[in-house]
Amino acid sequence: MGHATRLRMKFTKTDLVFIGLAVGLGALCYAIAGTIAFLDALSQAGALLLTIVPQLAGGLLIGGLMKQLIGKDRITAVLGAKSGLRGLIIATVAGTLTPGGPFMSFPIVYALWTAGAEAGALVTYIAAWALLGFVKMIVWEVPLMGIEFTWIRFLVCLPLPILAGLLARRLARVRVLGLSSQVDP
Amino acid sequence: MIFALGFIWASALVLSALVFRRSGKPGLSTAGKDAISTFRPLVIRLPCALLAAAFLVQVIPVDVVSNSIGRESGIWGIIVAALVGGFFPGGPIVTFPVAAVFQQAGAGVPQLVAMISGWSIFAVNRLLTYEAPIMGWRFAALRNLSCLALPVLAGIGAELLLDFVHGR
Repeated sequence: MGHATRLRMKFTKTDLVFIGLAVGLGALCYAIAGTIAFLDALSQAGALLLTIVPQLAGGLLIGGLMKQLIGKDRITAVLGAKSGLRGLIIATVAGTLTPGGPFMSFPIVYALWTAGAEAGALVTYIAAWALLGFVKMIVWEVPLMGIEFTWIRFLVCLPLPILAGLLARRLARVRVLGLSSQVDP
Repeated sequence: MIFALGFIWASALVLSALVFRRSGKPGLSTAGKDAISTFRPLVIRLPCALLAAAFLVQVIPVDVVSNSIGRESGIWGIIVAALVGGFFPGGPIVTFPVAAVFQQAGAGVPQLVAMISGWSIFAVNRLLTYEAPIMGWRFAALRNLSCLALPVLAGIGAELLLDFVHGR
């Protein structure tokens, strides 16, 4: 430390919100529950941080590596190609393996949607990415909720994106709702 | 925990080998830089989020949580949890520490499954900031309508699975 550059650490607004939450809740905890509870919480948070960081670091590395392996073109090709139940199963796998936040997955889907791709596979893909996203599970769910919980949720959610896709196919055909991608005359 | 750590780093190792085989050292360094840039904002936020969650456990009325979304709250608890999850503000750094707090405060596994699934599926602020602007209301409506029941179904599925495993 001691370098001027080190001292000029930038805090974004979001950082300040997090700091504010920690300080505010800390004060509340101290006031309501007392010193022992406060110190208890402090040591628990510290212990949790120590267990999480090695897992989180590995998870983020996995995310970066998956981005190298699974490009946007690849997902686009896979999602546009197949239809039927097979198409939905492939979309589930693609969604599960897609790393990254909404700025990765949504633009892919938008491009396919405007190109007239079938709605069922796209909805299945988004649902699978949201529910089963492998990187998100590794980075956040395993460290904070435990591996057993993560397994249970993964297993019960596995068939759900296909269900959503089947429903989306139905809904897209109901003309009253006007949810089809083709705006018909 | 050790198992989880081993699994994660073993996966990272296997993926590194795959990336190296395909795109050599540049591929690995791009992946590493990507990971570091994702990690950087967490340096401040993660400790704060964990602290806030730990303090929250101490002040939260535990019986309210365990009554409304405890293991015995059944289908209504699952529905309440799914709704709470869907309206959760913020990304995983907020959601998972708070879910962990609820876990400690006596929330049931099926209810937590519904909550995390509800957040994953709907994430109101993701809908408003990314999904609707990028995809347009037509696709956003189709997507959200098709997924409406999934968090509750996930909760029920977890309930059945646990009952089956525990032989009830």
